[in-house]
Amino acid sequence: MRTSSLIAWTVWKALFLREAVARLSARRAAWVWILAEPIVHLVLLNVLFGFVLQRVVSGIDGGLFITTGVLGFFLARNTAMRPKDAINANAALYTYRQVLPVDTVLVRAAIEAVLFMVSALFLFTGLGLLGYQVFPHDFFQVMLAFAILWLAGIGLGLMLSVASKLVPEVGNVAGMVFAPLYLVSGVMYPPSAIPPAYQSWILLNPFVHGIETVRTGFFPQYHTIPGVSVGYLLGFAMFTVCLGLALHVRFATRLVAQ
Amino acid sequence: MIIVDEVYKRYRNDHGFGKWVLQGVSFTIPPKVNVGLVGRNGAGKSTLLGLIGGVDTPTRGRVERRCRVSWPMGFGGGLQGALTGRQNAKFVCRIHGHEEDLPDRLRYIEDFAELGEAFDAPIKTYSSGMKSRLQFALSLAFDFDVYISDEITSTGDAAFKNKAAAAFKALADRAGLIMVSHGESTLKEFCTAGIWLHEGQAYWFDSINDALIEYKKCLNR
Repeated sequence: MRTSSLIAWTVWKALFLREAVARLSARRAAWVWILAEPIVHLVLLNVLFGFVLQRVVSGIDGGLFITTGVLGFFLARNTAMRPKDAINANAALYTYRQVLPVDTVLVRAAIEAVLFMVSALFLFTGLGLLGYQVFPHDFFQVMLAFAILWLAGIGLGLMLSVASKLVPEVGNVAGMVFAPLYLVSGVMYPPSAIPPAYQSWILLNPFVHGIETVRTGFFPQYHTIPGVSVGYLLGFAMFTVCLGLALHVRFATRLVAQ
Repeated sequence: MIIVDEVYKRYRNDHGFGKWVLQGVSFTIPPKVNVGLVGRNGAGKSTLLGLIGGVDTPTRGRVERRCRVSWPMGFGGGLQGALTGRQNAKFVCRIHGHEEDLPDRLRYIEDFAELGEAFDAPIKTYSSGMKSRLQFALSLAFDFDVYISDEITSTGDAAFKNKAAAAFKALADRAGLIMVSHGESTLKEFCTAGIWLHEGQAYWFDSINDALIEYKKCLNR
């Protein structure tokens, strides 16, 4: 007899390999697109805002400033949105009772983490070769902030996957919500550029805390607004992960049903 | 041994719940007994196989598996269309904990399915007969105590049917089989006992012939 944890582990490994193959062979040179998406996005943003930002964020390179923001936001967004459709995409596999819907969601989140690391490494190597100062002054803090952003993405992904399976419209709404969220997460501008009276509003958004923590870890001379705390994001992540897992347990039968 | 105890099942639809498919079904399948499931279309045969295979859970009641039971093979379930036969086979081997002897299992599956070059083609290019061959080979690659087959033999050609029959005969002394088929000769060839599903109830017969007789009586009524 195999133990439950061993079965879960082998299922995760098998699903991971399968998802990776599917992602990388989805279209011609799929890996090029996976690497190119953030790069093209960053180049466009740099052309649009890089010059303006030189003045707003003194002493910090506008390109690196945007890069840290975009990477942090994309990590959280992709980890929330990709697993959203995992339950339906893998419906054929629930024939094997070892495979549970929650496995497919978690494995997709792991795939996003790996893709993030590859594209971040690629990006920073490229920027380094172009002469940018790409070594963060507090490496540990940067990694921690990215990790918690990823965890928050998993929490949202767990919740959205159940919600969009039970009520398909939720999935569409989630896609619409992430577009304006991008604008209020301080990706393209420093939150300190917002009038102090309204700064408490933007601090309600948990992603701001993660992105700003990445930046204070990256640039020694960067000053963020008061009230930014990685603990707020961690609390949000823990809450959504627990709620998401609870939803998966509560609706276990209905998630498997065709 | 498989124990099905007072199992009720109904499905959820857009307006709440559908009608009861199974209403208080109870029976025990002893080890190494081959059972044929008969009943008209929509009687709940595939539903019952799904419950026994652990794919779905009963609305009420309990299914207990005191042995290793295969997944229900049939109708292309469990295969991902975009991936090749080989990739699907690897996945199934891995989730069943056969990472170490993966090449051996793959070779067995490839040989048994006899798909030739199609083994490396995406599943969506397969015919239903080819899918059946692959599913059948997949399940035989593992040592289950009970194999569940949902019409899997009906789509294969004559050569495949003979091969399947020989394989099941060879298993007979160590494993059981639960199958749904609309082919009377198939059922008689493979099964000893029978379950007749009728109006949400299950009737157990020690002989498949008696089950078929009852089933036909009800059809002529």
